[in-house]
This record gives sequence, C-alpha cells and structure tokens, in this order.
Amino acid sequence: MSENGQPLILIADDDPDILELVSFRLERAGYEVLQARNGEEAVQVAIVRRPDLAILDVMMPRLDGYEATRRLREHDETRRMPVILLTARVQEDDIARGFEAGADDYVKKPFSPQELGSRVQAVLGRR
Amino acid sequence: MIEELGWVSGALALLSFLLVCTLAGRRVTLARAERRRVDAEERLRPFALGLVEGDSISLPPLNAYESRALAVVLTRYARQVSGAALARIGAFFEDRGHVTHELSHLEDRRAWRRASAAHALGGMAAERAIPALLKALTDPDRDVAAAAARSLGRLGALEAVEPLAYALRDGRLPRAVSAQALLSIGPPAVPRLRDLLADTPSEVTVFAVDLIGLLGDASDAPQVMALLRDTSAEVRAHAARALGRLGAEEAANELRRALDDRIPFVRVNAAHALGAIGDAFATLALARQARVDGFDPAEAAARALARVSPEVLEAVASAPGAGPHLAQAADVAQVQA
Repeated sequence: MSENGQPLILIADDDPDILELVSFRLERAGYEVLQARNGEEAVQVAIVRRPDLAILDVMMPRLDGYEATRRLREHDETRRMPVILLTARVQEDDIARGFEAGADDYVKKPFSPQELGSRVQAVLGRR
Repeated sequence: MIEELGWVSGALALLSFLLVCTLAGRRVTLARAERRRVDAEERLRPFALGLVEGDSISLPPLNAYESRALAVVLTRYARQVSGAALARIGAFFEDRGHVTHELSHLEDRRAWRRASAAHALGGMAAERAIPALLKALTDPDRDVAAAAARSLGRLGALEAVEPLAYALRDGRLPRAVSAQALLSIGPPAVPRLRDLLADTPSEVTVFAVDLIGLLGDASDAPQVMALLRDTSAEVRAHAARALGRLGAEEAANELRRALDDRIPFVRVNAAHALGAIGDAFATLALARQARVDGFDPAEAAARALARVSPEVLEAVASAPGAGPHLAQAADVAQVQA
C-alpha cells in the first residue's frame, strides 16, 4: 500500500509510451504507480517499496521479465507479490515459461487498457 | 610566392571558420527544433492519453505544428494498444480528416509521398484505408508497396493475407517485410502459409515455417515434421526450431534423429527444440552430443538437457570426461535453482 492507502503498483517497461499508457489507466483507477525502465531497476524498486503488484514487460534490457520475476520470488520482501507479464510473445512455450518463473497472469501486447485494468483488479482481488 | 601562399592559407582558415560556424549554427537549430518537439508532445500528452481512454476532450486551438505533434503521439500509442482504445485513435484521425488527407496522397505522382501516406495510414488505425493500401501493394515503387504491406499488417487486414502470401512467394517485396506483415495479422494467416510449405523454393519455405512456428498450433506439427527430411539444411533447421516453438511432442522421435544431422546448425536447432518440448527420452542423446559434438551443437545440447532434466544434467556433468559445456550448464542451472 502507498502512504495514502492506495494500492501500489509497479510497472516496468523500456518503452516510455507503454509506461505512460499503463500509468494513466491505473492512476485514474485509484492506484499509485511506480515506474521502472528495466528489469534490474524493477527488482530494486520492488524490494525497497514492496508494491502490491508488479506489471513486467518480458523483453526488457538488463533483466528480462522472466528473470526479474524469478528474482522477485527469491526475496522475502517480494516472494508473494503478484506479477503480471506484459508480452508480445503468446506462444504456449512463452506463456509456460512465464508461469514457471512465477508469474500470476499475462497480458498480450498490443494491449487493451481496459482489459489490463480488469486483470489488475482480478489479481489483486485474489490475494 | 610566399605572399600567394599566405593568401591561400588565409582563405582556407576563413573557410574553416565559416564551416565551423555553420555546423555550430546547425546544431543549435536542431537542438531548438528537438526541444520544441519535446515541449509540444509534453503539452499535448494529457490530451492524447485522455483520448485513448475515451474521455470527452475539448482540444485547445492547435497550430499546424501542434496538430502534427499530437498525431505523432497518437500514432505511437496506436502501436501499443488494441480494442476500443485503438478504435478511438482511428476515429480521431478519421474525424479530423487526416485519413482522407493521406488517402489523397496515395495517388500522388511522387513515390516518396505515396510511401509516406501508406506508412501514415497504418499508424492511424484507419480501417477505411485497407482497400487503397491493398491497391498500393502493387505500386511500381518498391518502397510504396513495402510501406503498404507494413500498414496492412498493423491494421490486421485479413484481406491482405492472400496478396502478402503471394508477395512472400514471388519476392516482389523484401520477404522480411511480407513475413512481418503476416506475423502482425496473426493466426488467420496460417492456412495460407501451410500452402507455402510445399513446392516452394527453400528461401520461401524457411519464412513460411518460421511463421507457422510462431502463429500455428499442434495441428501444424505433421506438415512441419516432414520438413525435417528436406534436402535443404536451412529448411531442416527452421523446421526443428518451429517444432520446438509449437511444443510438438509427436515430433520428438524425428528431432532425436535430427541430432545426428550432418549439418551442425540443424543439430543446434534440434537440441533447442527437444529442450523446449521437454523430451525425457532425449536425455542420453543430448548428454552424448554435449560431450562429443562441436562447440555450438554441444552447447545447445547441454542447455537443452538443463531444461529437460536438471537431475540428469547434474549427474552427467560430474562424471569424468563430461567436458566444459555440461559443466557450464550445470553451474548455470545451480545458480538459477
């Protein structure tokens, strides 16, 4: 949770347009949003700020979304944090890789902001 | 003579000075233009985001430069979103007359203008432009046709599957462009791609089999499997990779056989595919390949073994004569565990 009681969500993507679109959708839905530009930064931010949920792009510099998810699962602070992968890869093998790494859900790119909002709500609701 | 040399060197020094001044001036101008663009985009971004979200936006009066900046931001957003958000971007460009404007440029006598219009229409999510873009696919200028192909892919135009598959076959467009457009259209392109697997030159088959690997499903496995016995090593390698992507368990026998292919990069792809499928019967063959094969196939086999069975990898990596690839894969697996 953020300081003002809103759920805190981390979004990590190397594309600034995605960061803007996702942040805008989530902020107006009442969430507080943290941004990261690569997988390494996402892991660091997540460990320090302990968001309620992370949305990670799969193809990111430094650490891809799979590896970032795996690292989040290794830390006590973020072990139970839900992760949604944002991916242009939707082959069964890629999806399975995401779930094996510990992701809770995935959203296909190009994405529908409305669908992403619903998935976030659903994943947070499950916890 | 000395006086003349003095004049020449003076003139050269003056010219150099003028050149440096010109370059510095150019740099300042470009930096200003970039700052102006960034400022305009920054100012207009909230409007663009609101528009994507379906807010009822009343735009302030925009000059031509700002209108273009808004269009650029929306075109970028159009690449990232789908569904209702994308439809709203398309409606914005339609309502403001941008689509009609660009469609008229598709008839321009200058090729660069036609290419630019063909490119812009794809970014505007302008479905009304599909018939005109299909026509532009046969434009005598290759750049115009390529821009039209890219835009048809971005629009997900099902009507474009047939002409794009034809372009992939006859090579009238760069094959990578046709293939990328078909990839963007997605699974509806697969039935037409299956037709390209038979009786086509190997350079066409490799594109078709790659696309089927990315877009197809398990029902495509038998046709792709048959290509593991193709006379072209390129085709065999791409078929193996596609079978791995499809997760075709029924291809495991044939892929194990491909581990003995005489061409190293076919063996590399066969090993990757067996790793992706998780074929438990391949562990011994992969371990052997990792021990005795050349660098690339051996490394691929060791990595595949790590995916299939970390336990077997650990056991064979600690055995005498395991070699560097198994040891390295075991170390990596241990770090990741």
